[in-house]
Amino acid sequence: MATTGLTSTQEAAFRRSKQLSIQQREELLKPFLPSEPTSSSDTASKKALSDRTSQTTKSRKTGPVKTFLYLAIYHTIALLFSIFFRFRRAYRLVRGNIISLLKYHHRTPEFIAHDVKNLEKMPKHLSVIVEYQEDEGGQGTAGLEGLVNDVCEIAAWAASAGIPLLSVYERTGVLKNYLPQTHASIWSTLESYFGPQRKPTLSLRAPHLSSYSPPNTPPQTAEDEINQGRKHLTVLLLSEHDGRDTIVDLTRTLAEMAQKGDVRQEQINTDLIDAQLNDHVSSEPDLLILFSPTVMLKGYPPWQLRLTEIFHLPDNKGVNYQVFLRALYNFAKVEMRLGR
Amino acid sequence: MGSLHDSRIHKWFATSPPVAWTFRQLRELLIGSLKQGPIPQHVAFVMDGNRRFARNHHIETVEGHNLGFESLARILEVCYKTGVKVVTIYAFSIENFKRSKHEVDALMSMAKVKLQQLAEHGALLDRYGASVRVLGQRELIKPDVLLAVDKAVAMTAHNKKAVLNVCFPYTSRHEITTAVMKTVETYSTPMHNLPTPSKRTFSESHITQHIRKQMLEEDADGGAEQPESRPSSPSSKGTTQAEDSRSSSTSTAIDPPEKDASNGGPPTYLDPESISAQTLNDNMMTADAPPLDLLVRTSGVERLSDFMLWQAHENTSIVFLKCLWPEFDLWQFLPVLVEWQWQQKKLQEEQQRIRGRSKLD
Repeated sequence: MATTGLTSTQEAAFRRSKQLSIQQREELLKPFLPSEPTSSSDTASKKALSDRTSQTTKSRKTGPVKTFLYLAIYHTIALLFSIFFRFRRAYRLVRGNIISLLKYHHRTPEFIAHDVKNLEKMPKHLSVIVEYQEDEGGQGTAGLEGLVNDVCEIAAWAASAGIPLLSVYERTGVLKNYLPQTHASIWSTLESYFGPQRKPTLSLRAPHLSSYSPPNTPPQTAEDEINQGRKHLTVLLLSEHDGRDTIVDLTRTLAEMAQKGDVRQEQINTDLIDAQLNDHVSSEPDLLILFSPTVMLKGYPPWQLRLTEIFHLPDNKGVNYQVFLRALYNFAKVEMRLGR
Repeated sequence: MGSLHDSRIHKWFATSPPVAWTFRQLRELLIGSLKQGPIPQHVAFVMDGNRRFARNHHIETVEGHNLGFESLARILEVCYKTGVKVVTIYAFSIENFKRSKHEVDALMSMAKVKLQQLAEHGALLDRYGASVRVLGQRELIKPDVLLAVDKAVAMTAHNKKAVLNVCFPYTSRHEITTAVMKTVETYSTPMHNLPTPSKRTFSESHITQHIRKQMLEEDADGGAEQPESRPSSPSSKGTTQAEDSRSSSTSTAIDPPEKDASNGGPPTYLDPESISAQTLNDNMMTADAPPLDLLVRTSGVERLSDFMLWQAHENTSIVFLKCLWPEFDLWQFLPVLVEWQWQQKKLQEEQQRIRGRSKLD
């Protein structure tokens, strides 16, 4: 730090004897700045660049060694983290299994209602993302049957917890082709949970398709008074098509209207789009539960996600009750206590 | 957290030359080695937790924001060094205007100064060849701030290596709406005078608001028998809103559009059926950026809060971190990046397996 190494300009700068020009100041700083980005934007400075690179080749000479070091460290980090991730996954799986053992619903709505009775805040509109797996895993959760099974279970939990609206997002939208069958399956699952007398009424719908609630189900007879006490569950099936594509459709319609002069450009605003999407697709869910190990939305309708709480259990795979329960606890900002 | 005294000792230790040097070298080494793997091309940050940090440490809220900015500078450096092309930050939401005036003003003046600092010659952005872009509703920015913002944008406009998107008064719904509006404009302009510039001095939203106010007044005059059923605020949703805009559209359509009169003959338009997701994509504010690979939100809030809804809805890895934004640094970002690389590797393996299987079939 001796003053001997100073050049005249540096000295001038330190002594503040006179103001330095911008260029002089730049010159002063240059040795301390990192080397210029290699592919500079302006071609005019190419020459200056080549000069400088020839200067910096001295430090670049260590290239191979440094690259080797970087590679080595990269692989070490990757290895260490992969071990760490694996252990963490194992730990989380064990923990998840213990929790699912302690908090099993026994296919009884009372147990589920008991689990959630201390929660002050419940979502009015719950949304879940489930996956259609083609012959993957082979744990009985594959294919259409597995998918329907998942949806049925989730619907039963939601009904037990008292959530009135459940939207199920599944990328391909296969279930939309089997509306009556899906309805029947959910219906029978609800019956197995609640029993034939107390099961909630159910309507199943999907955007662009008419709502499906079969006429024979809510018997409009003398039992009407009992019906009043029953809950109603609406299940909404969403697919990839209800996401970006629907916004595109809306744009097309608006463009067509604008061409005819029916709508003016200034009249297109957030409220208009919101109202349209609200009516035709779905409202904003309060809580979105992912059953995948990481948060990837996979084409979930973007407009609706504005303030939705997104819950996922890291490293979890597949639909299970503890994820559902923990999501609700998380939503109500309550710590989950194990054991009753 | 620790007491103030502890943190002072800690600070003294951390800033002592040998320790600082070692840390710097370590950072360089780590960044250099991270570069060997796949690197996300587009990263977005929701800088959440400045206020909570300030509260936890008993300092002024504005000071918390200042620390948050320092954290941003650090993370930007990490990102650009590792080779991230586009960084998008959620600096200010339209909703944030609802905060106290004092805080909003402080944030605005901070934006003014800090953007300038970032963009200065030889400063961070210049060093890594990054240009600033401001995404959002410009008409909400005060003129003096806007001037500073534009200056910063102009100063870095020649940089082509990387981009810093500053979302400043931004909400994603507004972005999508604007994209829809722009698309509709393109498709409702007759073909031959297609390349008319869309720059106008009037703000669309303002006009819409005015129209709506007029309509409300008319309604109040005409339909006095049911004034309660009318939406009193523009934010009230539902079908009434849609009906309103429908009825207004029919009523406004009575006076013939001037465009047709000047052109003469039926105008030809682009076919609306050719509108695709890509068209809207191109009209988004992030049009020329690569798809969003990674979205990081700090402070443990697991929501998107009207940020990057359109961009993040597909293959974006969304990561929610517990730490507050001012605490966010390479050490928090490193595990996120490594995990992203790990996932990427697994995805690739899976794709290869699927491809292999389809080849077998």
